[in-house]
Amino acid sequence: MNNTRNTLLIKLSKIRIGKIISYIVLISWVLLTVIPLIWVSYSSFKSNEELTRDIYAWPYDLFDNDSDEYVVIERTLNVRPDYDEKTDTRERLIIESTTISPGRRIMVHFLLKEDLPPEISNLKPGDRLTISQLPSVMRMYIGWKTIWFNYISAFTAGGLFMKFINSIIYAFLSTLFIVLFGLMIGFATSKLGFKKLSMIIIGLIGLGYLISINSVIIPLFLMLSNVNLTDTHLGIILVYTAFGLPLSVMLSTQFISGLPDSLIESAYIDGASVMQSFNSIILPMCKPVIITISIISALGIWNEFLLVLVLASSEFTKSLPVGVFSFSSLTSTQLGWQLAALVIATLPAMIIYFIFNNRLASGVVGGAIKG
Amino acid sequence: MVGPGLIIYLFIVAYPVFYAVWLSFTDFNPNRGGAWNFVGLDQYSTMLKDPWFWHSLKNNMIVVAVSVFGQIPIALILSYILYRKLVRAQNFFQAMIFLPQFLSTIVIGVLWKRLFSANGPVARLIQLFSGDPSAQFTMMLSKDTVMIPIGFVLIWMYTGLYVIIFLANLQKINRSVIEAAMIDGASESKIFFRIIIPSLSSTILVCSILAIAGSLRGFDLIFAMTTQGLTRLNAMVLPIFMYQTAFQDYANDMRFAYGAAISNMIVFISVGLILISNFVGKKLDPTRTK
Repeated sequence: MNNTRNTLLIKLSKIRIGKIISYIVLISWVLLTVIPLIWVSYSSFKSNEELTRDIYAWPYDLFDNDSDEYVVIERTLNVRPDYDEKTDTRERLIIESTTISPGRRIMVHFLLKEDLPPEISNLKPGDRLTISQLPSVMRMYIGWKTIWFNYISAFTAGGLFMKFINSIIYAFLSTLFIVLFGLMIGFATSKLGFKKLSMIIIGLIGLGYLISINSVIIPLFLMLSNVNLTDTHLGIILVYTAFGLPLSVMLSTQFISGLPDSLIESAYIDGASVMQSFNSIILPMCKPVIITISIISALGIWNEFLLVLVLASSEFTKSLPVGVFSFSSLTSTQLGWQLAALVIATLPAMIIYFIFNNRLASGVVGGAIKG
Repeated sequence: MVGPGLIIYLFIVAYPVFYAVWLSFTDFNPNRGGAWNFVGLDQYSTMLKDPWFWHSLKNNMIVVAVSVFGQIPIALILSYILYRKLVRAQNFFQAMIFLPQFLSTIVIGVLWKRLFSANGPVARLIQLFSGDPSAQFTMMLSKDTVMIPIGFVLIWMYTGLYVIIFLANLQKINRSVIEAAMIDGASESKIFFRIIIPSLSSTILVCSILAIAGSLRGFDLIFAMTTQGLTRLNAMVLPIFMYQTAFQDYANDMRFAYGAAISNMIVFISVGLILISNFVGKKLDPTRTK
């Protein structure tokens, strides 16, 4: 009696120890993963002074801006206006913060004199004022600009807006082609007969798994510069499309060959052409695999770096990772701005990830291990 | 139907492979309008005499070792805990473990470069724990230690990928085997070593191959974690060596030919390592020994 009870106790305590160890392992791993990400998110709302003062403290300066002191400055060459001076000639009062990077002409506002009460619009360079003296609309405006200071600066000083758009163009268009061509090849090879030819094509494209953009970047660069496609959107999209095909073809062939043949046969009997049966039967049925291919391809392209680094030489074609990288290697860039740029580049991928979490994992497995 | 996709594929993926091989056997000179002669294995013999090649190869082997012997065992343990449902909030843990895998390597690299900077957050932690307010994080700066923080970030970033793969394959294991073992009183560690590891052996092999191939062509992370100049040279791996040769060394007449030789060498080495690991894997495979 007593003996069995003891062994039971030992068993129970063993299970408990196992559980405790498991929790410790998992929780510490998750903390290790999450803490850097949390740090970068909240630190991106800190001013440079705060970051040097205490690198872990919560952001405060940029949020508590109502009593910030500003000084009126003159329009000199190093003051960059945020409006077009040629078309907009209304008079403005230029003020600079005395707390956030004072004297560096970074935290500067241009206030329309016509909206200001006379005692403020008549201030001379060198005079001081606090934000609470301003009319409430302006206070709100400056308040928001101060909170998002790092983000606004990352977009303007780093030119990240154009790169953000470029990244979206690359990810969207390449994914579109990858899905379309992949499905077409998958349909043709699994449902249209030509067994031998199909095997050869699938095998050929399957070999593409072994080749990454990195390993053929030099010939790619030489080829594309021969046909003047470097530094163009088209060239970059073409390469992304080609390198996305192996995964897309593999997943869609697997999926389409699982669909019953009778579907397509009955469409033929009703007189549908190949194109029609592809459009109206295959495409709607492939929705799940289309989503999987799209997310994996789009995330991969969103994060890709080397190709754009090599091919894109002008600001017009650079993508977000290249932009973030070069922005962060400039010595003049403030740390807070860099952190904001990192968040800008990560956030879209994170959102997609948390929406499509489960599908992504299964897709990665499908892509990593063939069959 | 096959046409457009196949044409793009053949031109952009298949053709460059042959182009790269041809390029590496020539002295293709971009500074003189692309004049070239066939030079045989000259580029390869220059490479073997180049101390930078051996330096990058050594670093690359460290990366391979970290991936195979660091990421994969950790991934095994994590996926085992998740698979055996030893914890609550499974989905949350799973989502968090997979996460870094889907973030931009460049962002991760730049982020850790900041974290690891001499006076950065990690240095601040060291100051807190050691009580020395002037302590700095200097591992990134020295040639001998630079691969330690890089190895850490490699594990941080890519372990999730292998957890995904292991978890998917663990679902295929027959649960009744584990239940039977538990009734017989097997402990968790026994189940792990006697049942899980043997039945995952082929998956472990696949993961090792993925790890080898991936870490030999990995460029972004180390590129982003290091600054141009001495740190990057210290931490240089073969893909970075290739990039710097081909796209930054404009004075070098043979930069593209030499670069192509380096990237072919990367492919060659990874195929070699994969064959070796295949061989070792078959030798160790418990189903084959008897």
